[in-house]
Amino acid sequence: MPWLSLKLVVAFVYLFMLGPIVITASVAFNATDRSYFPPRGFSLQWWEAAFGPQWLQPLVFSLELATLTALISAIAGLPLAFAFQRYEFPGKALVRAITLGPLILPTLVTGIALLQFLSLIGLGRWMGFWALLIGHVVICLPFSVRTVAISLAAMPVNLESAAASLGATRLAVLRHVTFPLAAPGVLAGMIFAFVHSFDDVNLSLFIARPGERPLTVAILGFLEFGFAPTLAAVSIVSMLIPLALVALFGRFVGIGDFLYQEAGHG
Amino acid sequence: MTQRAGEHRLVPYLLIALPAAFLLAFFVIPSVVLLSMSVVQSADAIPTGNLTLDNFATLLSNRLYVRAILRSFIVGIASGALVVLLAYPLAYFLVRTTSRWKNLLIALSLAPLLASVIVRTYGWWVVLNREGALNVALRSLGITDQPLLMLPSTLAIIVGLAHALLPYGVLTIMASLNGLNPSLERAAMSLGAGRARTFFAVTLPLSAPGIVGGFLLTFAIAMSAYATPAILGGPTTEVMATMIRRFMLELLDWSLGSAMGAILLVSAMVLLLLTSALGNRQRA
Repeated sequence: MPWLSLKLVVAFVYLFMLGPIVITASVAFNATDRSYFPPRGFSLQWWEAAFGPQWLQPLVFSLELATLTALISAIAGLPLAFAFQRYEFPGKALVRAITLGPLILPTLVTGIALLQFLSLIGLGRWMGFWALLIGHVVICLPFSVRTVAISLAAMPVNLESAAASLGATRLAVLRHVTFPLAAPGVLAGMIFAFVHSFDDVNLSLFIARPGERPLTVAILGFLEFGFAPTLAAVSIVSMLIPLALVALFGRFVGIGDFLYQEAGHG
Repeated sequence: MTQRAGEHRLVPYLLIALPAAFLLAFFVIPSVVLLSMSVVQSADAIPTGNLTLDNFATLLSNRLYVRAILRSFIVGIASGALVVLLAYPLAYFLVRTTSRWKNLLIALSLAPLLASVIVRTYGWWVVLNREGALNVALRSLGITDQPLLMLPSTLAIIVGLAHALLPYGVLTIMASLNGLNPSLERAAMSLGAGRARTFFAVTLPLSAPGIVGGFLLTFAIAMSAYATPAILGGPTTEVMATMIRRFMLELLDWSLGSAMGAILLVSAMVLLLLTSALGNRQRA
């Protein structure tokens, strides 16, 4: 029964994939201050600590950063995707390559490049929130450009010319035809950008500074002093936020379709 | 009329002007500066302006640095291979199953992508550390009496990264299996090939682009990953990413940091360009 043995292999792969996450969640219920698994005793103290000021501050910082990044990426991504999808112009291939570049270059390299560049031109004081916002928009912009381009490409151009031939002005076409049909792509792009920003380590590591650190960098900093069940609780909280976001809005914009297209693009 | 056409030609440039200027200032120029810094001498993080290949010579003549570079490649190749090995059966199952849980199972296999790498790696630390789940289990089963030291180790980094990157492999391989024409498999079967023969003679070769694509993609990401090697590794298992952090933030030797960044950048770019060239050939 090859299908049955395939099912067994698949069950093992799921165990491999989800096991560590389940273990992390259960460790957070330890009654002791060590990360025992299976947990010893039962306590909610680490979940309380996860919402204490030490962790709430970077969590709120990350939420603000990711929200602003998603908004700016959407605003900057829309005209880019529109130009790429609807116009032919000299230099298009170059601008497109630059826009999608941050997906190709290792994020870590983009991070050290930004660190070095801002320091060299005397803007070292931007390190922290402003540098992080700039860097996150750079690495999240490709997501919103791509999702918007996908919904623009899926839209029949006829729809726009039909509206125009019925006497709609250019602006009216944009407002009543193009934008509403591009909306799912814009939203999906915002979700990808938010999640990507919220989860980023490789760029933030280099341009954060004490007091202005996203949650991931705060966790990494804490790791140097050892692992405590608090960290497990914080990790789970930080995992639930993007999950909740996709669960809430993902179905609405058909996020799965965008994910497939993304993979199709390699 | 000609003026209108002229206006029309300007429209795309007006659309892209601001975002393109932003990317030029904060992505293109910094990257170029980084690459040039790698061939410029510097003292105490201040470039002196002299051109040199010394930075690369220093990196390649120091055993510690060469090991970090090699370890990055080994980690990339091994975790890429592990990802493909685990992702293929899962992707095959997800594409072929008629279970009513299909969508849930797909969502479950991609959900880890939503969690930060740190969260996904932390679980492995809990499992593998000295007093971790695995050691407790081994001791209570009487298999070992001393705790095994599994951290820090290159193997742990490989397993952790394969775990973190598995969804990418599933996505790429599923995309190529979805694009496969099922009538080819039916044809093979109707000509008398068994299930196994059909799989190895038809399905597997036709999904090879997905396998290679998934391998190269995860190779490239694993090679430049920082968090997993930082958590599951240590001073004896440095990779390029952890060395770069040391150069940039601890030793403040930005020339060596940039040089290693340049090596990482070029390696990752070659891998990803290969991936996309392969994807284009597949579509053509």
